[in-house]
Amino acid sequence: MRWTFGVVFAVLVSGLGLGAELVVYTYDSFVSGGAAQAIEEAFEAAHPGVDLVWVAPGDSSEMLARLIAEREARGTEADVFLGIADVELPRALAQGVFQPYDPTLIPNLAHVPDELVFDETGHVIPFDHGYVTFVYDSEDLPEELVPQRLEDLTRPELKDKIVLEDPRTSSPGLSFLLWTIAHFGEEGWLDFWRALFPNVLTVTKGWSEAYDMFLAGEAPIVLSYSTDTAYSYIAEGSLRYRVVTPDGEAYRQVEGMGIVAGTDQPKLAHAFLDLVLSKEIQELIPTSQWMFPASCAAELPEDFARYAVIPARPVSLPPDYVAQHLEEWLSEWQRLLVGG
Amino acid sequence: MATAPCGRLIKRGAGACLALLPLLFLALSFFLPLWQVLSQGLRVEGRWTTARLAQLLSDPYVLHLLRFTLKQALLSSLLSLALGFPLGWLLARYDFPGKEALRAFTLVPFVLPPITVALGFILFFGHTGYLNRALMAIFGLSSPPIKVLYSLWGIVLAHAFYNAPVFARFVSAAWEGLDPGLTEAARTLGVRPLSVFLTVTLPQLLPAILSAFALVFVFCFLSFAIPLALGGAKYATVEVGVYLYARVFLDQGRAAALAILELAIALGLTYLYIRGGGMFTSRGQVGRPQATVRLFSRPRQLLWLPYLFLAALVFLGPIGAVIADSFVRPWQGQAPTLAWYRMLLSPAQSPFIGASPRESVALSLEVATCAAGLALVLGFLVCWTLRRVRSALLEALLMAPMAVSSVVLGLALLFAFRQPPLSALGRGPWAIVLAHTLILYPFVVRVIRPLWQGLDPALVEAARTLGAGRFLSFLTVELPLLSRGILVAGAFAFALSMGEMTAVAMLSRPGLVTIPLAIYHFLSARKFGAASAMATILILITAGVVFLWEYMGRRLLRGQA
Repeated sequence: MRWTFGVVFAVLVSGLGLGAELVVYTYDSFVSGGAAQAIEEAFEAAHPGVDLVWVAPGDSSEMLARLIAEREARGTEADVFLGIADVELPRALAQGVFQPYDPTLIPNLAHVPDELVFDETGHVIPFDHGYVTFVYDSEDLPEELVPQRLEDLTRPELKDKIVLEDPRTSSPGLSFLLWTIAHFGEEGWLDFWRALFPNVLTVTKGWSEAYDMFLAGEAPIVLSYSTDTAYSYIAEGSLRYRVVTPDGEAYRQVEGMGIVAGTDQPKLAHAFLDLVLSKEIQELIPTSQWMFPASCAAELPEDFARYAVIPARPVSLPPDYVAQHLEEWLSEWQRLLVGG
Repeated sequence: MATAPCGRLIKRGAGACLALLPLLFLALSFFLPLWQVLSQGLRVEGRWTTARLAQLLSDPYVLHLLRFTLKQALLSSLLSLALGFPLGWLLARYDFPGKEALRAFTLVPFVLPPITVALGFILFFGHTGYLNRALMAIFGLSSPPIKVLYSLWGIVLAHAFYNAPVFARFVSAAWEGLDPGLTEAARTLGVRPLSVFLTVTLPQLLPAILSAFALVFVFCFLSFAIPLALGGAKYATVEVGVYLYARVFLDQGRAAALAILELAIALGLTYLYIRGGGMFTSRGQVGRPQATVRLFSRPRQLLWLPYLFLAALVFLGPIGAVIADSFVRPWQGQAPTLAWYRMLLSPAQSPFIGASPRESVALSLEVATCAAGLALVLGFLVCWTLRRVRSALLEALLMAPMAVSSVVLGLALLFAFRQPPLSALGRGPWAIVLAHTLILYPFVVRVIRPLWQGLDPALVEAARTLGAGRFLSFLTVELPLLSRGILVAGAFAFALSMGEMTAVAMLSRPGLVTIPLAIYHFLSARKFGAASAMATILILITAGVVFLWEYMGRRLLRGQA
């Protein structure tokens, strides 16, 4: 009897739209940073009775793969995907993962500069951006060996002194590969890598392994992000680990978010996207995600502004161009690796 | 007159049905979804074809991957055997203080996420690691003398660290079950100890050694993060290829084709082992328990010292480095601190939404305990069935959950839990428990099968002649004789579940964060010290639970004897 009562009550409640759920898929470090908690609190305060649920047991590409697989299997619970990398966009669009957003429901979109909008089809909105470049240990690497140009990375004095991430399994790794292609052109990038490999101590699966290795003192140069000095200064009061942008360049990563096609909560999903672009949340991005906010309205914290580096010449390749050639580039890179 | 055999026939039929039930369940809940994923590798535009497989096998890079993966798996298994066998010997034949603790501790490498093992190796064996710094200080060297990492040998050493315990446990369980009468008889006949070992003991241990080899080879063959972290991209395994096709190119067809190759090789080798391993099966493992000797009671036993020193370096070094890392990073000029533990324990600091570190510990323990229990039951039912339906092929196929690529396993689990009957579980702890049960039961089968096969059928026949039913004779004769295997299998199943990531990542709901997942969360949030502290907690809890389980089990056994 009580059971039937419960069911009737549950049906009534869900029919009234109370107790609704907005399920957001994102990557693990977004949830472990502070921004997710602030978003949840603000969202649930603005929409009483709605439960915002984060699902994030993996990195961005794992979560996207899970979303695609779920949609193929029996549909997904996800309403929003937050944290798609710009290079993943063409494949996500080809799989029909996202539905177009309605810009009139996202007023905060007005503060996002055009140069960051990487999806011209109107499915995915940027929410932050960062720069992949090299970080060195100023107590271990002599000043004259700090790479001022990309070619400097191939100097024989740097033998076994660089840790990289694998472009096949990690997003900074892929960004560096694309950076070299953008810098040296389709003709020259393989020659650069051929000269670079002897200096590479190892290539790790993901960023965490590489940075951990760097902090352990195994190598004085690591492929990482341009906000690392800001992080170690703000979190640990140390300026030991410094960012360098060879040739004034660094590869730009833009992270986007979109509404999952077939969601039953399109209104709430739009409200969520708008909230993430609000000034309050965007101002949390620097010191929780260690990325730059996408919104011009957001002000950067003082120490972050001082030590986080925006390169003189941000490098990026159009996602479509990357999608067309990625397989060929990675195959060539693999072949070089095995041969060399 | 005519009804008696007829009744027996019905009874037999019912028995067979009961035995086939677990297989039917496995088929529906796991093998069907697995087939749905893998079959994509055999279909192009809806037509069945082996074109994809042929294409892969003609790609020189794929062949290189396969060759390298086989090579490192073989070397790793051999080194694991070399390091693990003496440890098993030590545990089976000698007495020394702290033996039970050491036995529990041997399972620790098994639960650590690859990323933690890689960190431990880098901190200990790295160019600027503890070992090299110590050697440089002692001998006044200017460059690190030990350069084992970032090469094939770094990978092999890390795999041995992971898998030597499998050999140690399998060997010691088998050795403790041997009848000392045989060796004593040989000694009485004047055979020298070395010859006794080679001609009497070793042949009886072979089934356990081969069973462990089959498992360890499969583990090393499917390894992914360790080769990349400690060897570099040059030493990528086939699994990296599967990952690349499935995750980066989103080409499920080619990923599935490559996974089929992986599975075929792993299962093919398992099949060979099962076919070939049968002839080594020894009989008659009942009798008095093996007598143990006090370690270092004779001068000759000092020969153990070099081994113990080496084993301490390989096992304690990296684990110790991770534990030390949770307190201090000396080269960064910090004083030792408990800050990371304080952060883990403070309820205010809940760094990931919906789960505090304490909840992670509770969830991991719950899941691992339930999954290990269920896996023991399912594993036993499968062994029971395999005793009636003798088929090496079936036995090899039942290894599939352990032998399939983790990327594909994740997809198969996702499919499995999205369609009936498993969809009834929804998602949450029970989905993870059941998924773990499916992943763990092959392990239980691999431990129990050789032991059960080795039991003297005369014992069961005797019990049945005396009027015991099949079930009663199982309960009173076979089960107690298999109890050492149950202890080992239960401990391993628990440890495997504690460290498992694929199913957790695919099936977890918000708030369900197991300890390994928490470690990854900390790492991605740059809390490296917190990750090491969490890993230390994982080490202590696993060793503690395994210790309790085996300590109680052994006391029960002694009570029976």
